[in-house]
Amino acid sequence: MGVLKTLWSKLKQAILALKPGRVTLGYPFTPREPEEGFRGLPRVDVNRCIGCGGCAEVCPARCIRVVDTDQTTRVLCFLHERCTFCGRCAEVCPVNAIEMTKEFELSTDDPHEDLVGEYHIWMGPCERCGRCFEAPSALDRLKRTGMRCDEIDAKCAIACPAGVEADSEETKS
Amino acid sequence: MTAEQVTQGLRERIGDALLESEPRGDRRVYMTIDPAEVVAAADELFNKMGGRYVITAATDRREKHGSFLVTHFFSFDDDDLYVILHANVPEDDPRIASITPTIPGAGWAEREMQDLLGVEAVGHPDPRRLVLPDDWPTGVFPLRTDFSSQDKPEASMEGAPQMTAIPEGAVVVPIGPYFPTQHEPESFAVFVDGEVVVGSDYRGFYNHRGIEKLGSSDLTYNQIPFIAERICGICGFVHSCAYCMAVEEAAGIEVPRRADYIRTIFLELERLHSHMLWTGVAGHIIGYDTLFMQTWRMREPLMWLAEQLSGNRKTYGMNIVGGVRRDVDKKDFPKIEKVLADIEREWTALQEAVPGDRTLTARLGNVGVITPEEVRELCSLGPVARGSGDTVDIRVDHPYAAYDELEVSKCVEDGCDTLARTFVRLRETPVAISIIRQCLEQMPEGEIRAEITEEIPPGLQGIAAVEAPRGESFHWVLTGEENRPERWRVRAPTYSNLQAVSTMINGDVLADVPIDIGSLDPCYSCTDRMTVIDRRSGQMRVMTREEMRNSRNR
Ligand code: SF4
Ligand code: SF4
Repeated sequence: MGVLKTLWSKLKQAILALKPGRVTLGYPFTPREPEEGFRGLPRVDVNRCIGCGGCAEVCPARCIRVVDTDQTTRVLCFLHERCTFCGRCAEVCPVNAIEMTKEFELSTDDPHEDLVGEYHIWMGPCERCGRCFEAPSALDRLKRTGMRCDEIDAKCAIACPAGVEADSEETKS
Repeated sequence: MTAEQVTQGLRERIGDALLESEPRGDRRVYMTIDPAEVVAAADELFNKMGGRYVITAATDRREKHGSFLVTHFFSFDDDDLYVILHANVPEDDPRIASITPTIPGAGWAEREMQDLLGVEAVGHPDPRRLVLPDDWPTGVFPLRTDFSSQDKPEASMEGAPQMTAIPEGAVVVPIGPYFPTQHEPESFAVFVDGEVVVGSDYRGFYNHRGIEKLGSSDLTYNQIPFIAERICGICGFVHSCAYCMAVEEAAGIEVPRRADYIRTIFLELERLHSHMLWTGVAGHIIGYDTLFMQTWRMREPLMWLAEQLSGNRKTYGMNIVGGVRRDVDKKDFPKIEKVLADIEREWTALQEAVPGDRTLTARLGNVGVITPEEVRELCSLGPVARGSGDTVDIRVDHPYAAYDELEVSKCVEDGCDTLARTFVRLRETPVAISIIRQCLEQMPEGEIRAEITEEIPPGLQGIAAVEAPRGESFHWVLTGEENRPERWRVRAPTYSNLQAVSTMINGDVLADVPIDIGSLDPCYSCTDRMTVIDRRSGQMRVMTREEMRNSRNR
């Protein structure tokens, strides 16, 4: 009886295994696109980014470094090696400058070289303190090439070592 | 047991030592007791009232309160009640009586408390080091607030634990730190007499990543869910979910109903893929690779579905405090239904075919036996408990997310062996499918995320339990300053289940040990949560650091 039962079971298993046929994919020789909405490597559009640093603030892996290299350049440095592909950076970016691309083939033997995304953002410097300041949008940034101090962002004023108060009401929006 | 009855009972037992009892709704009661009476209180809750011991947490509150907070958590599953038992232990004498002699299942949690916070559990039957690596110096406690997450103390071998005494005439067979059928590092020393297992010792926590420390020192409330999701490589969503729910409970954040449903869908998708994965792995361990290949083939479309819905096949990244980040759109429903229908069809065929196979019944039946009494004492959870007739299923007993509106049938077996645990998982798979279908049908329209405008005030507490594929996953959050918790305690189900291994394998033959351990669906990383390289310690032979280095270079 036991033998019959096992045979019967094996037969059913054979059907289960044979029915779907061959399922192995030709990957990597046949490329396979990830699904729509997939969160792959984040990439920044430097023309949109206003350098607010919001992405660095929320990143759970702490893999975005923001450094001002001079008065007009802010560098966003993504250490993709540590990225968790959560997409929080893209979610909070006020100007939608970050796209979660479909890139996922990131294996490398040199992550420090290959998995670093460096973006140079052009910033308008504050006339009073001389440091990079964040314009509310990319368009505003253009407008501010004249560095008019009466339009200084409230945030910058708080951090301003010269202690100059900006008219925060006007620029808060 | 209602909150009042529990309070009443405790008051009768320990009198004025019950300093405070504050029910919060019908489902939680927070109590503070005099630490001197902790054993009596634990005995009353566990032995007299029949509560289930959940976990112990210790918190360093010396800076503000001059004490350590030791908390034991209990659950009354028939009455949907969690009891939180706080005791303040003075900082100058950080000692509290051990409850392990009363509740064997508390053994690890108390050892962890000694290791990480330096609060001594007086009278613990086995106070050896558990979590910290062998070369961690004595007297340095990483979860104390004066220890920075960046500190790297000088190595010292003083505190390395010794292996338990080997029974007379027995031989040690090491399973691990790396072993073919165990997919993560862990180390069992199995003592055998001939072929028969007569005892064992466990040394794990090789994957401890200090997540709890990060949560209370580096991360912010909304960064933690993504790190929490990485506690487990298979069922991570339960952790991010439980964490978010704990914070939401603490801060009183109302989660939109739709978000609850979406969470439920993902929790069940995760259970599906986890059980299918396990079935395959179990087959693989006993050399039944057809099962492995076929279940994993069936599982793959599920992973792709998750990728479509959430953006990633496994780390969904959906949870955030207050709700979820992505909606499940109506236009995706047909896809979901198609995948579920395919899996259901094939799973039914598998369920009909496999149990008749002698390979399975011969290898799984009557091995890894754990009796209902042992389940209760060792506080085992999930399919391990349900395979031994225990009926606890958090989805039904302590409903969370959308489970209060869904029909969930409990799958309980009474074989008490590895085969019974297998059946529990085989049967839970179609149940998960039915739950997802119910969700799709009943899901209300609306927001998916609550707007949180105010900062979460410090000093609030919340707990959350989620029925992970492996059992109850439990989180406790004590809110703190600077936008992060003061303490976040995680208890993965494997933490409880692993403590039952030595009981399960005793008396089995050596060849059955891998599948016995496998039958827990063990997840060492969940259990471990920091990593530092370890050495094998023991009376038999001690591998020095140099030897390790040499063997690596060879
Ligand atoms: S995807 Fe997540 S982890 Fe990666 S950079 Fe963005 S926020 Fe950081
Ligand atoms: S604009 Fe967007 S990408 Fe640029 S710093 Fe702010 S959040 Fe980051």
